[in-house]
Amino acid sequence: MLFSSITFLFYFLPILLIIYFIVPKKFKNLVLFIFSLFFYFYGEPKYGFLLLLSCIINYIMGNLIDKYRKRAKVFLIIALMYNIGQLIYFKYLDFFIENINNIFNTNIGFMYIVMPIGISFFTFQTISYVVDIYNKKVESSKSFLNFATYVCLFPQLVAGPIVRYETISNELKNRESNFDTFALGVKRFTIGLAKKVLIANLLGEMCTSLASLPNGSVMSYLLEAVGYTLQIYFDFSGYSDMAIGLGLFFGFHFLENFNYPLVASSITDFWRRWHISLSSFFRDYVYIPLGGNRVSLLKWIRNIFIVWFLTGFWHGASWNFILWGLYFAVILVLEKKIYGKYLNNTKVLKYIYTIGLVVISFVIFNCETIGDIKIFLSSMFGLNNLPLINTETLYYIRSYLILLIIAIIASTPLLKVIGNKIKKLEFLEPVIYIGIIILVTAYLVDTSFNPFLYFRF
Amino acid sequence: MKNKIITISFVFVIELFFILSIIIKDESISKTERRKLEAFPKLTINKIMDGSFMDDFEDYSLDQFPYRDTFRSIKASVNYYALGKLDNNNIYLNEDGIFKVEPTNTESIDKFINKINGIIDTLNEDNKVYSLIIPDKNYYVEDKLFLKIDYDLLYSKIEKLNTTSIDVRDIMNINDYYKTDTHWRQENLDKVVKRLSEKMDFSYTKLNYKHNTYSKFYGVYYGQAALNGKPDIITYLTNDIINECTVEYLENPNLNTVYNPSKLTGMDSYDVFLDGASSFITINNPNSKDNRELVVFRDSFGSSLIPLLIPYYSKITVIDIRYITSNYYLDKIEFTNQDVLFLYSTLLVNDSSSLKE
Repeated sequence: MLFSSITFLFYFLPILLIIYFIVPKKFKNLVLFIFSLFFYFYGEPKYGFLLLLSCIINYIMGNLIDKYRKRAKVFLIIALMYNIGQLIYFKYLDFFIENINNIFNTNIGFMYIVMPIGISFFTFQTISYVVDIYNKKVESSKSFLNFATYVCLFPQLVAGPIVRYETISNELKNRESNFDTFALGVKRFTIGLAKKVLIANLLGEMCTSLASLPNGSVMSYLLEAVGYTLQIYFDFSGYSDMAIGLGLFFGFHFLENFNYPLVASSITDFWRRWHISLSSFFRDYVYIPLGGNRVSLLKWIRNIFIVWFLTGFWHGASWNFILWGLYFAVILVLEKKIYGKYLNNTKVLKYIYTIGLVVISFVIFNCETIGDIKIFLSSMFGLNNLPLINTETLYYIRSYLILLIIAIIASTPLLKVIGNKIKKLEFLEPVIYIGIIILVTAYLVDTSFNPFLYFRF
Repeated sequence: MKNKIITISFVFVIELFFILSIIIKDESISKTERRKLEAFPKLTINKIMDGSFMDDFEDYSLDQFPYRDTFRSIKASVNYYALGKLDNNNIYLNEDGIFKVEPTNTESIDKFINKINGIIDTLNEDNKVYSLIIPDKNYYVEDKLFLKIDYDLLYSKIEKLNTTSIDVRDIMNINDYYKTDTHWRQENLDKVVKRLSEKMDFSYTKLNYKHNTYSKFYGVYYGQAALNGKPDIITYLTNDIINECTVEYLENPNLNTVYNPSKLTGMDSYDVFLDGASSFITINNPNSKDNRELVVFRDSFGSSLIPLLIPYYSKITVIDIRYITSNYYLDKIEFTNQDVLFLYSTLLVNDSSSLKE
């Protein structure tokens, strides 16, 4: 089920809210757990058991690590093997088979495994849980229901953010919902909905139209690349906003996942602002355990490449994602060791540099094969004998101009600054949010299925 | 206080539409969109486990949403007037009617030419072969911003057809097409018949027709536009010659007339002409004085023109190769010295993937 769907907004949520706020406090987690399971089951009926199994095994291992400190390492390894094994089996096995077949000219049959939705996200949450217990950062959950509610909690279950147990462990036991947190949740959720439905989906339409043009131009490729970058930002950050907003409905406070990444001043800065829960996961659970930057230069470069190989590979079992990750590894090394200082001293260039590299990165991200990447980039840079611009491209530029301007402005902190300045108009807020809900509903009713981009991961 | 208002109004809105969804009765068809609306899906264990129940339920919740048409109008208005989009769902509006955005597809045009020339190779040397590529109504849209096929390119490519080509671009205008539909109006096609007679060498006579009308024709674009305008009036022309014909339809053996008025009140009123989508039709005209036959390869634009050609032929065979292959029609017709007319709209030329081998 998508947050931006009629079924979620006008069936699932109304029923859940009524039941959740009617039942006594001690049953609230149970209600959330059951509805979260239903939420998952609705989108992925065959794999509901997998999610439950993950809860059970990590719950047991977490408690064993905590209880038998001397053997903690054994239980940690069992838990990690289970979690990583499950991820490899469901997400990467066919990719490995394909590449082994290619390299060794073998003929191993594919398993044709369908990847369960959200497995990359909930597996990372359970990994962080057992590792944090091992490192004594958190205590294991004694209550299975609380732990299972954490893993399955529907706002963050299928597309993140990757919420760590330490962030909400207290709130699982005791939390407060009141009009203030709920209203804050409504605002975040509605803003997220608008980002997804009113901006990302429309940009997606534009990109689809441009991509399916029988006769393209340099500008049509460029516009598609910029459009896709904006689309994925609004899609994914919109989803995170909705998740954070939904968490607030029930009194949970998740950490922020995005911080205006498109106005970053370097790629290093970009990754402090984009998908923060993922980059900090790799920082805390891979990079730092490998020694981080307190090692020799060569080892440091190795660490960077391992982390970014994994970051790329996490996004999907496909070479373009690996390339995408390594692309960032190279840039990050260069920024740190070669030109980062000079870049930082420029006023405008650093922003152009960053957004340019980010746009190129999302071309790599979006193309399915290395061949497609070559075609796209060479067309975009005018190396494919395409006209600079044609009637078709002009039409779409003109048709999407206002949306593009809105999207560009909304990807900067400008609206927030303006919003904070005009406190006098605060009384209009309820009208604005209800207006957005109505508008979003209008767009949803008129469209067919619009899956989130990050559901693939 | 403000937070209370935000909370309560949000909860009120979603609960309200939840309740309305349940109590408002489901509709079975959408007349303006010309389609069946999704009914509440059947609930079986299998359909739940393979996820198809959920998919159907998503469609159901969209199709049966309370005040759906109003919401769709809101969306269309915002797209056009707030976001300044030139089209909504590829639908473009101006005072002349509703149009569909159509980028040029060079590859499709080339495929079309190869396909038709391939058919011509299988004909008899004595066949006289003509082609009329009908301009779709986008041709007559003058707005500079509108995205339409590159007609100059298309018509220059079309010269490669091994046929005597007939062009009607100069005699048609925007009013010869329905406002809400893609097709042309039969009552305006007399000038096209006249142009055909000059090229195809039959003697045109001005005939009197009875004008039969139906006033609520929701064209194919009407529902897609989502902004309620006026439906079109559809007219079909009859006279004794047309009425006395015997007609055989491959798909509909019970029908033996040129028109099927029962279709007027159906999903697509334009199906009144030659029963809509039909792959193979034979029309016999007992009133014909000379023994002249015509074979037409056509798309839906032909359905309304072909009845007006009946007076000049003793027999007309109508073939739609989107639905049947050459094996079928070659079995049924022996090509000798018939006139053969390829009658296709520029829309089909630009999107020819549906033509069968």
